[in-house]
Amino acid sequence: MSNYFYVSPEQLIKDRAEFAQKGIARGRSIVAAIYDVGVLMVAENPSASLNKISEIYDRIAFAGVGKYNEFDRLREAGIRWADGTGFTYSREDVEARALANYYAQHIGDMFTEGQKPLEVEVLVAQLGTALRPTKLYRIAYEGTISDEARFAVLGGDAETIKTRFSAAESDLEPLDVTLRNAIAALAGPERTIDVADLEVCVLQDTGNRRTFARLSDERVAALLGT
Amino acid sequence: MGLPLFSAGGDPGPSFVKYAEMSGLVDFPPRPSAESPHATTVIAVRYVGGVVMVGDRQATSNYIASRDVRKIEAADRFTAIAISGSAARGMEFIRMAQLSFEHYEKMTDASLSLEGKANYLSPIIQRNNLATPLMVIPLLAGWDPSRREGRIFEYDGAGGCYERRDFATIGSGSPFAESALRLGFRTDLDREAALELGALAIYEAGDNDPSTGGPDFVRNLFPMIVTLDENGFSELPADEVAQRFTTINDRRSQSQGVAGGSLR
Repeated sequence: MSNYFYVSPEQLIKDRAEFAQKGIARGRSIVAAIYDVGVLMVAENPSASLNKISEIYDRIAFAGVGKYNEFDRLREAGIRWADGTGFTYSREDVEARALANYYAQHIGDMFTEGQKPLEVEVLVAQLGTALRPTKLYRIAYEGTISDEARFAVLGGDAETIKTRFSAAESDLEPLDVTLRNAIAALAGPERTIDVADLEVCVLQDTGNRRTFARLSDERVAALLGT
Repeated sequence: MGLPLFSAGGDPGPSFVKYAEMSGLVDFPPRPSAESPHATTVIAVRYVGGVVMVGDRQATSNYIASRDVRKIEAADRFTAIAISGSAARGMEFIRMAQLSFEHYEKMTDASLSLEGKANYLSPIIQRNNLATPLMVIPLLAGWDPSRREGRIFEYDGAGGCYERRDFATIGSGSPFAESALRLGFRTDLDREAALELGALAIYEAGDNDPSTGGPDFVRNLFPMIVTLDENGFSELPADEVAQRFTTINDRRSQSQGVAGGSLR
Protein backbone atom coordinates (compact mmCIF):
# COMPACT_ATOMS: atom_id res chain seq x y z
CA MET A 1 0.00 0.00 0.00
CA SER A 2 1.29 3.42 -0.94
CA ASN A 3 1.29 6.34 1.43
CA TYR A 4 -0.09 9.76 0.48
CA PHE A 5 1.57 12.73 2.04
CA TYR A 6 -0.30 15.93 2.73
CA VAL A 7 0.71 18.78 0.43
CA SER A 8 -0.74 22.20 1.19
CA PRO A 9 -2.50 23.99 -1.68
CA GLU A 10 0.04 26.82 -1.42
CA GLN A 11 2.89 24.38 -1.89
CA LEU A 12 1.11 22.60 -4.74
CA ILE A 13 0.51 25.82 -6.67
CA LYS A 14 4.07 26.95 -6.00
CA ASP A 15 5.50 23.68 -7.30
CA ARG A 16 3.33 23.76 -10.38
CA ALA A 17 4.19 27.38 -11.11
CA GLU A 18 7.89 26.65 -10.74
CA PHE A 19 7.57 23.71 -13.08
CA ALA A 20 5.78 25.76 -15.75
CA GLN A 21 8.15 28.72 -15.39
CA LYS A 22 11.16 26.47 -15.84
CA GLY A 23 9.71 24.97 -19.00
CA ILE A 24 8.89 28.37 -20.47
CA ALA A 25 12.25 29.88 -19.52
CA ARG A 26 14.05 27.29 -21.65
CA GLY A 27 12.71 28.85 -24.89
CA ARG A 28 13.30 32.21 -26.52
CA SER A 29 10.98 35.16 -26.01
CA ILE A 30 8.50 37.01 -28.22
CA VAL A 31 7.76 40.73 -28.40
CA ALA A 32 4.42 41.92 -29.72
CA ALA A 33 3.91 45.64 -30.14
CA ILE A 34 1.31 47.92 -31.64
CA TYR A 35 2.78 50.32 -34.21
CA ASP A 36 1.14 53.31 -35.89
CA VAL A 37 -0.96 51.27 -38.36
CA GLY A 38 -0.78 47.67 -37.19
CA VAL A 39 0.49 45.02 -34.83
CA LEU A 40 4.02 43.64 -34.99
CA MET A 41 5.09 40.28 -33.58
CA VAL A 42 8.76 39.31 -33.38
CA ALA A 43 10.01 35.94 -32.20
CA GLU A 44 13.53 34.69 -31.91
CA ASN A 45 13.18 31.40 -33.76
CA PRO A 46 16.04 29.64 -35.54
CA SER A 47 13.58 27.25 -37.22
CA ALA A 48 12.08 28.48 -40.47
CA SER A 49 9.23 25.98 -40.43
CA LEU A 50 8.23 25.39 -36.80
CA ASN A 51 6.44 28.67 -36.34
CA LYS A 52 5.62 30.42 -33.09
CA ILE A 53 3.39 33.05 -34.70
CA SER A 54 0.36 32.24 -36.78
CA GLU A 55 -2.73 33.64 -38.45
CA ILE A 56 -5.98 32.83 -36.64
CA TYR A 57 -8.52 34.88 -38.53
CA ASP A 58 -8.93 37.95 -40.74
CA ARG A 59 -7.71 40.35 -38.04
CA ILE A 60 -6.47 37.99 -35.32
CA ALA A 61 -3.03 36.48 -34.80
CA PHE A 62 -1.58 34.02 -32.31
CA ALA A 63 1.87 33.75 -30.75
CA GLY A 64 3.11 31.13 -28.34
CA VAL A 65 6.23 30.39 -26.31
CA GLY A 66 7.20 27.32 -24.35
CA LYS A 67 6.61 23.75 -25.42
CA TYR A 68 5.94 23.66 -29.15
CA ASN A 69 3.49 20.74 -29.16
CA GLU A 70 1.43 22.36 -26.41
CA PHE A 71 1.06 25.82 -27.89
CA ASP A 72 0.64 24.44 -31.42
CA ARG A 73 -2.40 22.49 -30.28
CA LEU A 74 -3.80 25.70 -28.79
CA ARG A 75 -3.08 27.48 -32.08
CA GLU A 76 -4.99 24.82 -34.03
CA ALA A 77 -7.91 24.97 -31.62
CA GLY A 78 -7.96 28.75 -32.05
CA ILE A 79 -8.16 28.51 -35.85
CA ARG A 80 -10.94 25.94 -35.58
CA TRP A 81 -12.83 28.06 -33.09
CA ALA A 82 -12.51 31.17 -35.27
CA ASP A 83 -13.46 29.48 -38.55
CA GLY A 84 -16.33 27.66 -36.83
CA THR A 85 -17.67 30.82 -35.21
CA GLY A 86 -17.40 32.79 -38.47
CA PHE A 87 -19.16 29.99 -40.33
CA THR A 88 -21.98 29.78 -37.81
CA TYR A 89 -22.53 33.51 -37.40
CA SER A 90 -20.62 36.07 -39.43
CA ARG A 91 -16.97 36.95 -40.02
CA GLU A 92 -17.32 40.14 -38.00
CA ASP A 93 -18.53 38.18 -34.95
CA VAL A 94 -15.14 36.53 -34.47
CA GLU A 95 -13.48 38.43 -31.67
CA ALA A 96 -10.12 38.08 -30.01
CA ARG A 97 -11.44 38.67 -26.50
CA ALA A 98 -13.66 35.60 -26.64
CA LEU A 99 -10.80 33.46 -27.89
CA ALA A 100 -8.42 34.83 -25.27
CA ASN A 101 -10.95 33.92 -22.59
CA TYR A 102 -11.24 30.37 -23.86
CA TYR A 103 -7.47 30.05 -23.86
CA ALA A 104 -7.33 31.44 -20.32
CA GLN A 105 -9.96 28.97 -19.12
CA HIS A 106 -8.25 26.01 -20.70
CA ILE A 107 -4.74 26.93 -19.57
CA GLY A 108 -6.10 27.72 -16.09
CA ASP A 109 -7.88 24.36 -15.90
CA MET A 110 -4.74 22.56 -16.97
CA PHE A 111 -2.74 24.42 -14.34
CA THR A 112 -4.96 23.36 -11.46
CA GLU A 113 -6.44 20.08 -12.65
CA GLY A 114 -4.15 18.75 -15.37
CA GLN A 115 -1.61 16.00 -14.94
CA LYS A 116 0.91 18.76 -15.34
CA PRO A 117 0.48 22.45 -16.13
CA LEU A 118 0.96 23.57 -19.71
CA GLU A 119 4.44 25.01 -20.17
CA VAL A 120 3.22 27.79 -22.45
CA GLU A 121 2.38 31.44 -22.63
CA VAL A 122 0.24 32.65 -25.49
CA LEU A 123 -0.73 35.93 -27.04
CA VAL A 124 -3.87 36.79 -28.98
CA ALA A 125 -3.52 39.97 -31.03
CA GLN A 126 -6.35 41.77 -32.74
CA LEU A 127 -6.08 44.50 -35.34
CA GLY A 128 -8.78 47.06 -34.63
CA THR A 129 -11.65 48.27 -36.80
CA ALA A 130 -14.03 51.18 -36.52
CA LEU A 131 -15.98 49.08 -34.02
CA ARG A 132 -13.20 47.33 -32.12
CA PRO A 133 -9.90 48.50 -30.69
CA THR A 134 -6.50 47.02 -31.49
CA LYS A 135 -5.77 44.63 -28.63
CA LEU A 136 -3.04 42.43 -27.22
CA TYR A 137 -4.15 39.71 -24.80
CA ARG A 138 -1.44 37.80 -22.99
CA ILE A 139 -2.33 34.54 -21.27
CA ALA A 140 0.18 33.19 -18.76
CA TYR A 141 0.83 29.53 -17.86
CA GLU A 142 -1.58 29.60 -14.90
CA GLY A 143 -4.42 31.11 -16.94
CA THR A 144 -4.00 34.73 -15.96
CA ILE A 145 -5.20 36.92 -18.79
CA SER A 146 -3.88 40.43 -19.19
CA ASP A 147 -4.87 43.12 -21.62
CA GLU A 148 -1.65 44.88 -22.60
CA ALA A 149 -1.94 48.49 -23.64
CA ARG A 150 0.87 48.95 -26.17
CA PHE A 151 3.13 45.91 -26.15
CA ALA A 152 3.49 42.47 -24.60
CA VAL A 153 6.44 40.21 -23.95
CA LEU A 154 6.14 36.44 -23.68
CA GLY A 155 8.76 34.05 -22.40
CA GLY A 156 11.28 33.50 -19.68
CA ASP A 157 13.09 36.79 -19.72
CA ALA A 158 9.95 38.88 -20.06
CA GLU A 159 10.63 41.45 -17.34
CA THR A 160 14.07 42.46 -18.60
CA ILE A 161 12.89 42.64 -22.21
CA LYS A 162 9.85 44.64 -21.14
CA THR A 163 12.02 47.21 -19.39
CA ARG A 164 14.31 47.51 -22.40
CA PHE A 165 11.43 47.93 -24.85
CA SER A 166 9.49 50.47 -22.79
CA ALA A 167 12.68 52.50 -22.34
CA ALA A 168 13.20 52.59 -26.10
CA GLU A 169 9.65 53.32 -27.19
CA SER A 170 7.20 55.53 -25.37
CA ASP A 171 4.63 56.09 -28.11
CA LEU A 172 3.35 54.43 -31.29
CA GLU A 173 6.05 54.49 -33.98
CA PRO A 174 6.20 53.39 -37.61
CA LEU A 175 6.85 49.70 -38.39
CA ASP A 176 10.60 49.99 -39.04
CA VAL A 177 11.25 51.82 -35.75
CA THR A 178 9.12 49.42 -33.72
CA LEU A 179 10.79 46.44 -35.38
CA ARG A 180 14.25 47.79 -34.55
CA ASN A 181 13.23 48.44 -30.93
CA ALA A 182 11.66 45.00 -30.60
CA ILE A 183 14.75 43.21 -31.91
CA ALA A 184 17.04 45.31 -29.72
CA ALA A 185 14.91 44.50 -26.69
CA LEU A 186 14.98 40.78 -27.49
CA ALA A 187 18.73 40.75 -28.07
CA GLY A 188 19.86 42.93 -25.18
CA PRO A 189 22.97 45.11 -25.21
CA GLU A 190 25.52 42.30 -25.55
CA ARG A 191 24.39 40.46 -28.62
CA THR A 192 22.77 40.83 -32.03
CA ILE A 193 20.25 38.45 -33.59
CA ASP A 194 20.74 37.33 -37.17
CA VAL A 195 17.79 38.12 -39.46
CA ALA A 196 17.56 34.42 -40.38
CA ASP A 197 16.89 33.61 -36.70
CA LEU A 198 13.89 35.93 -36.51
CA GLU A 199 10.26 35.21 -37.16
CA VAL A 200 8.48 38.46 -37.93
CA CYS A 201 4.75 38.80 -38.60
CA VAL A 202 2.35 41.71 -38.79
CA LEU A 203 -1.35 42.43 -38.80
CA GLN A 204 -1.88 45.38 -41.10
CA ASP A 205 -4.62 46.60 -43.44
CA THR A 206 -3.69 46.26 -47.10
CA GLY A 207 -7.16 46.43 -48.59
CA ASN A 208 -7.69 42.67 -48.30
CA ARG A 209 -9.95 40.81 -45.91
CA ARG A 210 -6.99 38.96 -44.41
CA THR A 211 -4.53 41.23 -42.67
CA PHE A 212 -1.90 38.77 -41.42
CA ALA A 213 1.47 38.74 -43.16
CA ARG A 214 4.65 36.82 -42.52
CA LEU A 215 7.62 39.04 -43.40
CA SER A 216 10.43 37.43 -45.40
CA ASP A 217 14.06 37.75 -44.32
CA GLU A 218 14.63 40.17 -47.22
CA ARG A 219 11.74 42.35 -46.13
CA VAL A 220 12.96 42.35 -42.52
CA ALA A 221 16.50 43.21 -43.65
CA ALA A 222 15.12 46.03 -45.81
CA LEU A 223 13.10 47.42 -42.87
CA LEU A 224 16.18 47.30 -40.67
CA GLY A 225 18.18 49.02 -43.40
CA THR A 226 20.89 46.36 -43.44
CA MET B 1 -18.86 27.09 -28.47
CA GLY B 2 -15.88 26.21 -26.28
CA LEU B 3 -12.30 25.77 -27.37
CA PRO B 4 -12.29 22.86 -29.85
CA LEU B 5 -9.44 20.75 -28.49
CA PHE B 6 -8.98 17.17 -29.64
CA SER B 7 -6.81 14.31 -28.50
CA ALA B 8 -4.05 13.31 -30.90
CA GLY B 9 -6.04 10.25 -32.01
CA GLY B 10 -9.36 12.01 -32.59
CA ASP B 11 -7.98 15.14 -34.22
CA PRO B 12 -9.75 16.19 -37.45
CA GLY B 13 -6.52 17.64 -38.86
CA PRO B 14 -6.60 20.60 -41.24
CA SER B 15 -9.90 19.59 -42.87
CA PHE B 16 -12.59 22.10 -42.01
CA VAL B 17 -15.38 19.83 -43.28
CA LYS B 18 -14.30 17.02 -40.99
CA TYR B 19 -14.08 19.41 -38.05
CA ALA B 20 -17.48 20.93 -38.88
CA GLU B 21 -19.07 17.48 -38.95
CA MET B 22 -17.43 16.34 -35.72
CA SER B 23 -18.50 19.44 -33.86
CA GLY B 24 -22.02 19.48 -35.29
CA LEU B 25 -21.63 22.82 -37.11
CA VAL B 26 -23.13 21.23 -40.22
CA ASP B 27 -25.64 18.46 -40.55
CA PHE B 28 -24.80 16.02 -43.35
CA PRO B 29 -26.82 14.80 -45.13
CA PRO B 30 -29.29 17.67 -45.38
CA ARG B 31 -32.96 16.78 -45.40
CA PRO B 32 -34.89 17.32 -48.63
CA SER B 33 -37.11 20.37 -48.50
CA ALA B 34 -39.56 22.22 -50.71
CA GLU B 35 -38.62 23.49 -54.13
CA SER B 36 -35.91 26.12 -53.99
CA PRO B 37 -34.40 28.34 -56.67
CA HIS B 38 -31.95 26.86 -59.12
CA ALA B 39 -28.94 28.52 -60.61
CA THR B 40 -27.95 27.93 -64.21
CA THR B 41 -25.18 28.01 -66.83
CA VAL B 42 -21.58 28.78 -66.16
CA ILE B 43 -18.72 28.08 -68.55
CA ALA B 44 -14.96 27.95 -68.18
CA VAL B 45 -12.52 28.18 -71.11
CA ARG B 46 -8.78 27.65 -70.98
CA TYR B 47 -6.53 30.00 -72.85
CA VAL B 48 -2.79 30.44 -73.08
CA GLY B 49 -2.02 31.97 -69.70
CA GLY B 50 -5.17 31.22 -67.74
CA VAL B 51 -8.88 30.47 -67.61
CA VAL B 52 -11.92 32.60 -68.39
CA MET B 53 -15.20 31.92 -66.58
CA VAL B 54 -18.54 33.39 -67.52
CA GLY B 55 -21.78 32.85 -65.63
CA ASP B 56 -25.33 34.12 -66.02
CA ARG B 57 -27.04 35.86 -63.11
CA GLN B 58 -30.52 34.32 -62.99
CA ALA B 59 -31.97 32.02 -60.33
CA THR B 60 -35.15 30.23 -61.35
CA SER B 61 -37.75 28.24 -59.43
CA ASN B 62 -41.19 28.27 -61.09
CA TYR B 63 -40.58 31.88 -61.94
CA ILE B 64 -37.48 34.06 -61.93
CA ALA B 65 -36.38 34.17 -58.29
CA SER B 66 -33.44 36.50 -58.72
CA ARG B 67 -31.73 38.34 -61.56
CA ASP B 68 -28.44 39.22 -59.94
CA VAL B 69 -27.08 36.04 -58.39
CA ARG B 70 -23.30 35.63 -58.31
CA LYS B 71 -22.62 32.05 -59.34
CA ILE B 72 -18.87 32.43 -59.60
CA GLU B 73 -16.86 33.27 -56.51
CA ALA B 74 -13.19 33.35 -55.69
CA ALA B 75 -12.39 30.34 -53.52
CA ASP B 76 -8.99 31.80 -52.77
CA ARG B 77 -6.47 33.96 -54.60
CA PHE B 78 -5.87 31.52 -57.48
CA THR B 79 -9.12 29.54 -57.64
CA ALA B 80 -12.72 30.17 -58.53
CA ILE B 81 -15.77 28.03 -57.88
CA ALA B 82 -18.97 28.19 -59.87
CA ILE B 83 -22.22 26.43 -59.04
CA SER B 84 -25.29 25.11 -60.79
CA GLY B 85 -28.28 23.33 -59.31
CA SER B 86 -29.82 24.23 -55.96
CA ALA B 87 -28.89 27.80 -55.13
CA ALA B 88 -29.22 27.29 -51.38
CA ARG B 89 -26.97 24.23 -51.31
CA GLY B 90 -24.66 25.81 -53.86
CA MET B 91 -24.08 28.94 -51.80
CA GLU B 92 -23.29 26.85 -48.76
CA PHE B 93 -21.01 24.72 -50.90
CA ILE B 94 -19.05 27.80 -52.01
CA ARG B 95 -18.81 29.00 -48.42
CA MET B 96 -17.60 25.60 -47.27
CA ALA B 97 -15.00 25.43 -50.05
CA GLN B 98 -13.68 28.94 -49.40
CA LEU B 99 -13.43 28.27 -45.71
CA SER B 100 -11.85 24.84 -46.21
CA PHE B 101 -9.01 26.15 -48.37
CA GLU B 102 -8.29 29.02 -45.99
CA HIS B 103 -8.58 26.74 -42.96
CA TYR B 104 -6.05 24.33 -44.43
CA GLU B 105 -3.70 27.18 -45.23
CA LYS B 106 -3.85 28.59 -41.71
CA MET B 107 -3.54 25.21 -40.01
CA THR B 108 -0.55 24.02 -42.03
CA ASP B 109 1.04 27.33 -43.17
CA ALA B 110 0.94 25.96 -46.76
CA SER B 111 -1.56 26.24 -49.59
CA LEU B 112 -3.34 23.18 -50.98
CA SER B 113 -2.32 22.36 -54.53
CA LEU B 114 -4.96 23.02 -57.18
CA GLU B 115 -5.42 19.29 -57.67
CA GLY B 116 -5.71 18.89 -53.90
CA LYS B 117 -8.50 21.45 -53.84
CA ALA B 118 -10.28 19.71 -56.73
CA ASN B 119 -10.14 16.32 -55.00
CA TYR B 120 -11.19 17.77 -51.65
CA LEU B 121 -14.52 18.86 -53.13
CA SER B 122 -15.46 15.41 -54.49
CA PRO B 123 -16.76 13.80 -51.28
CA ILE B 124 -18.63 16.98 -50.31
CA ILE B 125 -20.54 16.88 -53.61
CA GLN B 126 -21.04 13.15 -53.33
CA ARG B 127 -22.52 13.37 -49.84
CA ASN B 128 -24.83 16.22 -50.79
CA ASN B 129 -26.07 14.82 -54.06
CA LEU B 130 -26.61 11.23 -53.02
CA ALA B 131 -28.55 12.26 -49.94
CA THR B 132 -30.89 14.95 -51.25
CA PRO B 133 -32.75 15.97 -54.41
CA LEU B 134 -31.17 19.41 -53.99
CA MET B 135 -28.34 18.66 -56.38
CA VAL B 136 -25.30 20.86 -56.72
CA ILE B 137 -22.84 20.57 -59.59
CA PRO B 138 -19.84 22.85 -59.21
CA LEU B 139 -17.07 23.85 -61.55
CA LEU B 140 -13.58 24.56 -60.29
CA ALA B 141 -11.04 26.57 -62.25
CA GLY B 142 -7.77 28.06 -61.22
CA TRP B 143 -4.24 29.05 -61.96
CA ASP B 144 -1.81 26.30 -60.99
CA PRO B 145 1.31 28.09 -59.73
CA SER B 146 3.44 24.95 -59.87
CA ARG B 147 2.54 24.03 -63.47
CA ARG B 148 2.14 27.66 -64.51
CA GLU B 149 -1.09 27.10 -66.44
CA GLY B 150 -4.83 27.51 -66.02
CA ARG B 151 -6.73 24.32 -65.20
CA ILE B 152 -10.40 23.35 -65.16
CA PHE B 153 -12.04 20.58 -63.11
CA GLU B 154 -15.61 19.48 -63.67
CA TYR B 155 -17.73 17.12 -61.56
CA ASP B 156 -20.51 14.67 -62.18
CA GLY B 157 -23.54 14.31 -59.92
CA ALA B 158 -21.87 11.62 -57.80
CA GLY B 159 -18.83 13.73 -57.06
CA GLY B 160 -16.51 12.33 -59.72
CA CYS B 161 -13.84 14.88 -60.60
CA TYR B 162 -12.51 15.21 -64.15
CA GLU B 163 -9.94 17.61 -65.47
CA ARG B 164 -10.79 19.30 -68.76
CA ARG B 165 -8.03 20.50 -71.06
CA ASP B 166 -10.31 22.64 -73.21
CA PHE B 167 -13.50 24.00 -71.65
CA ALA B 168 -16.38 22.96 -69.40
CA THR B 169 -20.01 23.95 -68.94
CA ILE B 170 -22.50 23.41 -66.12
CA GLY B 171 -26.21 24.13 -65.74
CA SER B 172 -29.35 23.85 -67.84
CA GLY B 173 -28.07 26.05 -70.66
CA SER B 174 -25.03 23.80 -71.14
CA PRO B 175 -26.05 22.26 -74.49
CA PHE B 176 -26.23 25.68 -76.14
CA ALA B 177 -23.11 27.07 -74.47
CA GLU B 178 -21.24 23.88 -75.21
CA SER B 179 -22.14 24.04 -78.92
CA ALA B 180 -20.69 27.51 -79.22
CA LEU B 181 -17.55 26.49 -77.33
CA ARG B 182 -17.08 23.33 -79.41
CA LEU B 183 -17.11 25.34 -82.60
CA GLY B 184 -15.03 28.22 -81.36
CA PHE B 185 -12.40 26.61 -79.12
CA ARG B 186 -8.78 26.49 -80.24
CA THR B 187 -5.80 25.40 -78.14
CA ASP B 188 -4.01 28.66 -78.90
CA LEU B 189 -6.76 31.02 -77.69
CA ASP B 190 -5.43 34.20 -76.14
CA ARG B 191 -7.19 36.05 -73.31
CA GLU B 192 -9.14 38.36 -75.59
CA ALA B 193 -10.36 35.54 -77.84
CA ALA B 194 -11.32 33.43 -74.81
CA LEU B 195 -13.29 36.33 -73.30
CA GLU B 196 -15.13 36.84 -76.57
CA LEU B 197 -15.91 33.14 -77.00
CA GLY B 198 -17.00 32.74 -73.36
CA ALA B 199 -19.36 35.70 -73.56
CA LEU B 200 -20.84 34.40 -76.81
CA ALA B 201 -21.41 30.95 -75.28
CA ILE B 202 -23.40 32.44 -72.40
CA TYR B 203 -25.27 34.70 -74.83
CA GLU B 204 -26.31 31.58 -76.76
CA ALA B 205 -27.41 29.82 -73.58
CA GLY B 206 -29.42 32.85 -72.49
CA ASP B 207 -30.99 33.05 -75.95
CA ASN B 208 -32.22 29.43 -75.95
CA ASP B 209 -32.63 28.27 -72.35
CA PRO B 210 -35.50 29.77 -70.35
CA SER B 211 -33.66 29.28 -67.04
CA THR B 212 -30.54 31.14 -68.14
CA GLY B 213 -30.48 34.90 -67.96
CA GLY B 214 -28.98 36.72 -70.92
CA PRO B 215 -27.84 40.34 -70.89
CA ASP B 216 -30.57 42.46 -69.28
CA PHE B 217 -30.42 45.88 -70.93
CA VAL B 218 -33.46 47.11 -69.03
CA ARG B 219 -31.88 46.64 -65.60
CA ASN B 220 -28.31 46.96 -66.83
CA LEU B 221 -27.48 43.50 -65.47
CA PHE B 222 -25.00 41.35 -67.35
CA PRO B 223 -23.49 37.91 -66.91
CA MET B 224 -20.33 38.02 -64.82
CA ILE B 225 -16.92 37.39 -66.32
CA VAL B 226 -13.79 36.48 -64.36
CA THR B 227 -10.27 35.53 -65.34
CA LEU B 228 -7.71 33.45 -63.47
CA ASP B 229 -4.10 33.93 -64.44
CA GLU B 230 -0.73 34.24 -62.76
CA ASN B 231 -1.97 37.32 -60.90
CA GLY B 232 -4.88 35.33 -59.51
CA PHE B 233 -8.64 35.86 -59.60
CA SER B 234 -10.01 39.02 -61.13
CA GLU B 235 -13.48 40.04 -62.15
CA LEU B 236 -13.96 42.15 -65.27
CA PRO B 237 -15.30 45.63 -64.50
CA ALA B 238 -19.04 46.08 -65.09
CA ASP B 239 -18.68 48.56 -67.96
CA GLU B 240 -16.33 46.27 -69.88
CA VAL B 241 -18.74 43.35 -69.46
CA ALA B 242 -21.64 45.56 -70.60
CA GLN B 243 -19.63 46.64 -73.65
CA ARG B 244 -18.91 43.05 -74.68
CA PHE B 245 -22.53 41.96 -74.46
CA THR B 246 -23.73 45.12 -76.19
CA THR B 247 -21.39 44.34 -79.10
CA ILE B 248 -22.70 40.78 -79.43
CA ASN B 249 -26.29 41.98 -79.12
CA ASP B 250 -25.84 44.70 -81.75
CA ARG B 251 -24.45 42.18 -84.22
CA ARG B 252 -27.39 39.87 -83.61
CA SER B 253 -29.86 42.71 -84.01
CA GLN B 254 -28.35 43.59 -87.37
CA SER B 255 -28.72 39.99 -88.59
CA GLN B 256 -32.18 39.71 -87.03
CA GLY B 257 -31.14 37.09 -84.46
CA VAL B 258 -29.25 34.83 -86.85
CA ALA B 259 -25.64 33.94 -86.21
CA GLY B 260 -25.28 33.56 -89.94
CA GLY B 261 -22.95 30.59 -90.18
CA SER B 262 -20.16 32.02 -88.08
CA LEU B 263 -19.43 32.59 -84.40
CA ARG B 264 -20.56 36.17 -83.99
